[in-house]
Amino acid sequence: MICDFCKSNEASIHLIKVTKNNVEKIHLCMDCVKNYSFFSTEDFFNDLTKILSKFFEIDIKISSKDESDKIFESVSVNDNKKCSFCNIDLNTIKSIGRVGCANCYNEFREVLNPIVKTIHGNLEHKGKVPVKSSNDIKIEKEIRDLKYQLKEEVIVENFEVAAKLRDTIKKLQKKLYIGKNAN
Amino acid sequence: MNEKNPTIYKSKSRRAKAISATGDDQIILTTRARIARNIAGFRFGSINNETERKEILNLVKNTFFSSSRNKGYSFYTMNKLPKTQRKLLVERHLISYEMTLKLSGKGFILRGDSKEMGKAISIMINEEDHLRIQSIIPGLNIYRSFNEVIKVEKELEKKLNFSYDKNFGYLTACPTNLGTSLRISVIVHLPAIVVSSKVEDFIKKLSKINCTIRGYFGENSEVIGNLFQIANQVSLGKYEDQIMDEMNAICLNIIDEEKSAKEFLRKNKHENVEDSIFRSYGMLKYAKMLSFGESLELLSMLHLGLDINVIKNIKSFDFYNLIGILGDSNILASYGKNIKLKSEDIDKIRASLIRERILKGFDENV
Repeated sequence: MICDFCKSNEASIHLIKVTKNNVEKIHLCMDCVKNYSFFSTEDFFNDLTKILSKFFEIDIKISSKDESDKIFESVSVNDNKKCSFCNIDLNTIKSIGRVGCANCYNEFREVLNPIVKTIHGNLEHKGKVPVKSSNDIKIEKEIRDLKYQLKEEVIVENFEVAAKLRDTIKKLQKKLYIGKNAN
Repeated sequence: MNEKNPTIYKSKSRRAKAISATGDDQIILTTRARIARNIAGFRFGSINNETERKEILNLVKNTFFSSSRNKGYSFYTMNKLPKTQRKLLVERHLISYEMTLKLSGKGFILRGDSKEMGKAISIMINEEDHLRIQSIIPGLNIYRSFNEVIKVEKELEKKLNFSYDKNFGYLTACPTNLGTSLRISVIVHLPAIVVSSKVEDFIKKLSKINCTIRGYFGENSEVIGNLFQIANQVSLGKYEDQIMDEMNAICLNIIDEEKSAKEFLRKNKHENVEDSIFRSYGMLKYAKMLSFGESLELLSMLHLGLDINVIKNIKSFDFYNLIGILGDSNILASYGKNIKLKSEDIDKIRASLIRERILKGFDENV
């Protein structure tokens, strides 16, 4: 698809304007979007949907491939440290929108936490864990699951079950504590 | 689990009856469940090199096929596939577009005939994550497709160690996939909602509940033929069953909304809508060349016309099946074996395919 404005570049943003009797399509390339005098580039990326909604008086679906590449935009790179396993630095992570290996999550945890929180709304995994995980991970998962269930039971005022759950959680926490100290 | 070990979040509707795409509605055309896994000790696909990719490719291949249960699957390396075949696989959503870039060291494992639309399981190796396991089933089939994916994962997990973190869950190259790494996406056909000018509300509603809405071909694609791809955005902090239940509820809602929009159109005469349905019919009948996008737009309207009884004289057709048949790559694969087809030739074949398959036997006296 060629850009409707410059008629030369490949369009990467596709807009659809739906009015009562008509569906109008507009295809733009990134360059034209940036040069488009109605809004600055910064505004554009900050709140694309809002601005365009106002402009076209309608909610528009924008699907840009760069969407997931922009998640690291808020990261300021003061200390450009490298991951000790894969050797990627924060600048590269920021520019490709991806981390380099599993260890990156460990070494850049501080930087990544707020980003992950923005995307998912929390920082606590629930659900499946690998079969081959350590016992500790399995116990930790069990505790998390039980805590979740405890919350549910309290909501429906099923206190008897809730009390039992609380006891089980305590036991598991103890087990985990002993296990960790033994190591 | 026993009493000592009470069950956690359990899906309430896991056994809910699946709604078939070929049933009475054809609103949810297809369901896809996918998870991402990375093998511990290797750099991710975001930065790894050919040697590393080849090692992973062999490791996964050997692990997977060492189990006698996996005999029904076939293995393909990307750089050995002809270009038309690669494009066809992307067109059918069996592999991602990313798989067709930087081919060396990439491959996939597939079950199901790639020529047949519908149910398929594919395991992409060395996409941005080492493993992307996905299952596609026509209709609304969230729980079934997830179960298929998990079956494959279990087999691989016996011998492979997956990267995992107690807070972030399964680790992926892009943080948007962390946690369960589960993405449920459905392709929905919503002509009635679109012509009733309700799309705006619809998109707003879905965005509020953290769903991504895209065009038929996912990332970077526009909406054609009133087809939308809807997927969950959050994969971390929710149980797999929770994600599935939420998506299932959303889908059932969408079906209801589209159905009631159709009902309204059926009961109330809308000249504008009727006009565009008949225009679409006319175009489909007389056009000599049709692009893929245009065909979908027109067929979507024709399908709506049949559903709301504006058009009565032709038989209803399976829209999803037709999408597969009319794609460029499919036409190339079926008709371009011995001759080189130009894009106008493809458009000509497409127009005649539509006439043959749908409009044949149409009663002239509407």
